[in-house]
Amino acid sequence: MDALQLGSYTFSSRLILGTGKFSNATVMLEAVRASGAQLITVALRRFNREQAEDDLFGPLSAIEGLTLMPNTSGASTAAEAIRAAHIARELSGSPFIKVEIHPNPQHLMPDPIETFEAARVLASEGFLVMPYITADPVLAKRLEDVGCASVMPLGSAIGSGQGVANAAMIEIIIRESGIPVIVDAGLRSPSEAAHAMEMGCSAVLVNSAVAVAGNPPEMAEAFAEAVAAGRKAFRAGLMQKSGSAIATSPLTAFLGAKG
Amino acid sequence: MREIPDWLTDNRETMALAAMLTPPYASDSLEALAAESRAITLRRFGRTMTLYAPLYLSNYCSSGCVYCGFASDRKTLRHRLEADEIVRELTAMKKLGISDILLLTGERTAAADFDYLRKSVEIAAQEMQRVSVEAFPMSVNEYRALADCGCTGITIYQETYNRERYEALHRWGPKKDYIDRLETPARALEGGIKNVGLGVLFGLSDPVEDALALYRHLRYLGRTWWRAGMSLSFPRMRPQTGGYEPPFPVDDHLLARMIFAFRIALPDTELVLSTRESAAYRDGMAGLGITRMSIESRTTVGGYDNPENKEEGQFEIFDDRTAKEFCTALRKKNIEPVFKNWEPAYNGPSDGNKATMHHGETEPCH
Repeated sequence: MDALQLGSYTFSSRLILGTGKFSNATVMLEAVRASGAQLITVALRRFNREQAEDDLFGPLSAIEGLTLMPNTSGASTAAEAIRAAHIARELSGSPFIKVEIHPNPQHLMPDPIETFEAARVLASEGFLVMPYITADPVLAKRLEDVGCASVMPLGSAIGSGQGVANAAMIEIIIRESGIPVIVDAGLRSPSEAAHAMEMGCSAVLVNSAVAVAGNPPEMAEAFAEAVAAGRKAFRAGLMQKSGSAIATSPLTAFLGAKG
Repeated sequence: MREIPDWLTDNRETMALAAMLTPPYASDSLEALAAESRAITLRRFGRTMTLYAPLYLSNYCSSGCVYCGFASDRKTLRHRLEADEIVRELTAMKKLGISDILLLTGERTAAADFDYLRKSVEIAAQEMQRVSVEAFPMSVNEYRALADCGCTGITIYQETYNRERYEALHRWGPKKDYIDRLETPARALEGGIKNVGLGVLFGLSDPVEDALALYRHLRYLGRTWWRAGMSLSFPRMRPQTGGYEPPFPVDDHLLARMIFAFRIALPDTELVLSTRESAAYRDGMAGLGITRMSIESRTTVGGYDNPENKEEGQFEIFDDRTAKEFCTALRKKNIEPVFKNWEPAYNGPSDGNKATMHHGETEPCH
């Protein structure tokens, strides 16, 4: 089976779904089911133990076959993310933690320095750390060195729908990485998800594009199909791109056959 | 007298915003702004609305704001909530689902001073997920002490950026100092407060001039304090207890134009609308640009534990629906009301604009 391997966990689906921004929990759960995703991320700040109607964790944990990956969205420092990870593990029982550290709540760009520090500590504590990062090949290797389960470079800014704007850097990360590379954030359309998978990403994470679609469950399904198609294309081996046409009369014919 | 800083009058950054706000307006321009504002809001914030509620701790005040029902020369009955009353109010608020609150006081007085405020924040942070404060201007050290106790946000409105109008409207008390007021949000950020809420009180002065100055203030803070979270509110003058008639009234259309223009100019900034606005206006605005709304507001001191309280509030509430009714209205618009959108693990002071990685030492009070 062509499975996604994260720590000791294997997943047949390579689509990871985010759970924020939906108009209600029912639509979100329908989208989760339609996506076939087996790994789902949910923000610790949306866990609400005091009010079931406002809680995202409860209804998600009731679905069989899902692995939940809490995230630390809202944390602005390593210390906060580490505190959040401990609380999230206690509440969810999941070994996964998606480390998201945005020092500035306006543009939601991840802080590489704080992220590295949190990832290092949490990996040493046995978490399966999934750090959300800018597409920086050196940072990706640093995170692999400290024991992260994957790296999650952003395709483009969260919620921007600009697709894989950082393709050149993500290609370097994929080429150099010994751990799964998962494009997270910025995807707008299934074709962009397929593109990321064709590039060799191990999985993609999508949230806004599904949550704010006209019909979220249908869009979730479309993403699932695109991710599967992209993966298949990657495994089949894409035809090499060429920058110019191949001349029918070879330019080097004058050299004659090599003898 | 200290001079107005250059950043407040530099119009290079506000040209795009000014173009959206300055009359004459093309006949279909409001609809076009609404459509763009809605698309940006949807993309960035999704189909959700974060909810909070205000809790008035005290209505003692030492300032003489012409337009305010709590000004120190008003005959309003004065009192403050004691610790046990605060706990009762918070318990009543939690029963309504509220987990994100804004604590309010008047200008600093002996009856409601910094120590009183700090203790109140400490109590609130034990009960609520997120605590913000709208009170009086403080020193950097005082802000640091509040952040240490779990306060993550400070709301401080300039009211109007027109200095002459400002000085005429604020007749006495510490609030009379225009420049000190202007510098307050920066002190809060310096003290480790993570979010500052800015705003003008529309109706006091030329609204477009005020809106442009508000934008410049926000941008100045954002450049100087790179970690700063910021939100903008759009309060407009309603008939106050003191019977003040706003000289520059802002009608529904202009307020809508303001909200759309700010959303387009600031795609990532939280925009807030309170219960000063009517139910119909708030429902209409949900999804078009506003991302944070107050619910179940009382503008009297306390009022959650004893809803029969008939004393006069600071201003009149126009949307007096219950949280439940309001959430039903949001859901009808395909928007999810979110009560908890924060995590106390993220409380504690920010390092301001200093990029260091040594944060772990300071634990929040609770």
